[in-house]
Amino acid sequence: MMPAAGGAPGGSAERHNGWWQRKRTRELALVACFLLPSLVVFFLYRVLPLGWNLLLSVQYWSPLKPARWAGLDHYEEMLLYDDVFWQSLTNTLIFIGAAPFAIALALGIALLVNSDLKGAAVYRSIVFLSYPLMTVAVGIIWRWMYDERGGIINFALRESGLVAKPIPFLQSFEWALPSVIVAEVWQVLGFYMIIILTGLQSIPQHLYEAASIDGAPRWAQFWRITLPMLKPSLFLCAVVGILNSFTSFDLVYIMTNGGPGHATELLITYIYKSGFGQTKFDYAAALTVAQFILLLALTYLANRAAGGNAGSLERR
Amino acid sequence: MRQRGTFLRHATLVGVSAIMLLPFYWVLKTAVTNENIYAYPPRLLPESPHLFNFVDVWYFIPFPRYLLNSLIVSALVVASNIVFNAMAGYALTKSFAGKRAILLLFLSCMLIPFQATIIPAYLITSKLGLLNSYLGLAFPLLSTIVCIFVFKAAFEAVPQSLVDAARIDGLSEWRVILRVLMPLSKAAIATNVVLAFIWSWNAFLWPLIITREPTMQTLPLGLARFLSYMEDTTGALYAFAVMVLAPSIFVFLMAQKEFIRGLTSGATKG
Amino acid sequence: MPHWATSRWVIAPLAIAGLVLAWNGYVALNDGGLVEGQVVDASGRPVPNANVILLERHFVMHNERQRTRTDRAGRFRFAGNDNHSLQLEAEAAGLGRTERRVVRLWFRAQNVRLAEPLQLAGKLP
Repeated sequence: MMPAAGGAPGGSAERHNGWWQRKRTRELALVACFLLPSLVVFFLYRVLPLGWNLLLSVQYWSPLKPARWAGLDHYEEMLLYDDVFWQSLTNTLIFIGAAPFAIALALGIALLVNSDLKGAAVYRSIVFLSYPLMTVAVGIIWRWMYDERGGIINFALRESGLVAKPIPFLQSFEWALPSVIVAEVWQVLGFYMIIILTGLQSIPQHLYEAASIDGAPRWAQFWRITLPMLKPSLFLCAVVGILNSFTSFDLVYIMTNGGPGHATELLITYIYKSGFGQTKFDYAAALTVAQFILLLALTYLANRAAGGNAGSLERR
Repeated sequence: MRQRGTFLRHATLVGVSAIMLLPFYWVLKTAVTNENIYAYPPRLLPESPHLFNFVDVWYFIPFPRYLLNSLIVSALVVASNIVFNAMAGYALTKSFAGKRAILLLFLSCMLIPFQATIIPAYLITSKLGLLNSYLGLAFPLLSTIVCIFVFKAAFEAVPQSLVDAARIDGLSEWRVILRVLMPLSKAAIATNVVLAFIWSWNAFLWPLIITREPTMQTLPLGLARFLSYMEDTTGALYAFAVMVLAPSIFVFLMAQKEFIRGLTSGATKG
Repeated sequence: MPHWATSRWVIAPLAIAGLVLAWNGYVALNDGGLVEGQVVDASGRPVPNANVILLERHFVMHNERQRTRTDRAGRFRFAGNDNHSLQLEAEAAGLGRTERRVVRLWFRAQNVRLAEPLQLAGKLP
């Protein structure tokens, strides 16, 4: 877009030129000033940390000692000797692996809501309501839902005769991780649904009309039109699902704090514990790099799966 | 046939809604119950409900202090988001050398989750001397990329002729922004307010890392601390949870449309 | 009325501010810290000179805070209460003790007058 002031009133060409120059400089200064605060924030809290993190991960460093070069020692320790790292990596992958199911569920709900159904807006709001809530409180609510005596889940299971003894969901090695994942899905489901709804509404209606005239059945329309057209939205959902393995720190911290043992340890909780619990900042930095690589790799794969059009994040 | 289809859809959606709302009901029920909350079987309806658990929360823990801290941080974040994002959004509507680079930088920053930077971010904040301070709590959220794009889109939607007319009337650049662009971007402002509020209100990991003193803790930290004291033995914990959830639910119901538009502006081209 | 004044973004915050102000006003008018009530015997007659104990809550425990005696009409009055969750108990020689009465207040030091008197187990002669 060219600057708006092109149509300057009157003046000779020369004067116009000088005026134009001054105007241009002023505008550049303005742009710089206007961008500065945001750039400072992003530089200090996005760009610089990324670089520093990389540096920290190849150093021996603690708040009181001067830094020493460590090479790949931290990575070696992490990959070869640290069982907790592997366990939290596995847990993180399981956590992310649950996202497709949640997205499929959200797709189903979105398809139901996206119609001329009366009260569709109400259903949409209800499903979405859990998303903007404080995750710490959500964790507390779900702890209570899973409780052995006071929790409604065990109550329902026992009343319906499915189990004889209450299941200590968050204290058992097998159940803890799935339980946390269910709570996470409960919170994020509405967000997936909203993304998919936005995608559904951008599908041109005439595609369906044409297909109907051709006599294509509903399920064929779904596979041939809806799903392919939804690819960018589904990609975005996948990215959100991948990012959620980072942002679910709050939920895990409150519900299980990584326990029992390390059964629900995610990389992000392990990073927190290593960094701020044991003040091994350098090692935690190496863990962060590992998780960041995981994030990039998975996002890349999701992008490939979505047809490689880089989804809509870069489409602006 | 069609009738039955509609009925089935409603039935499914009512079921889904019930499952989604069940946790809310369960926490509300527990928050207004005085009975031994560990009694089995738990009652489905609260027995002699009352609101005194909320009074307990207000006085047992420094709830007013946490509330004040949360409100200060949220106000800081909301105010600076409106100002900084509007400025950056306006700058991005201009053309200048390096604009592509800046856009690319913003877009790639969007993919860096804040949680992935906590260790250096903590060290940077400590170098700046902002540990345990309101500014430190708010700093990472002072400007957010999604919201910058929301403003950019809103400013670009303002008809150019209107801006030109204002300029010909002799309004300065500042006045054009304040008198013409901002009033026409109310929806973008609302989106910024809502998103910034929700993000700062709910933030947990960052305050957990950088506050060391209880007097600087925000509500999520207070809630986590209360949990570690009480180990879900009292209805007051759930009353606390309800009290911190209420403002977000209120804001969400007030501005659902703006909220959703802000969040999905990454999904649709802005 | 200007257009902006009817926006929900103005009305809702103002309504909340109004409620908060009204509540604080009410609190300011009623936080004298007075706790008043009466002690009666099993047949409902006022008991003079009975011991009344005021306990206040600290987290999960209740600790004794004040004691007083009832007057000729069996009435008692505590001043300077600054808690929000109380228990009251009365005893009189030969008449036994009352059950602990739980008194929960809406805010600290709320003035309160017991609607039901504390009833001792025994009867006055």
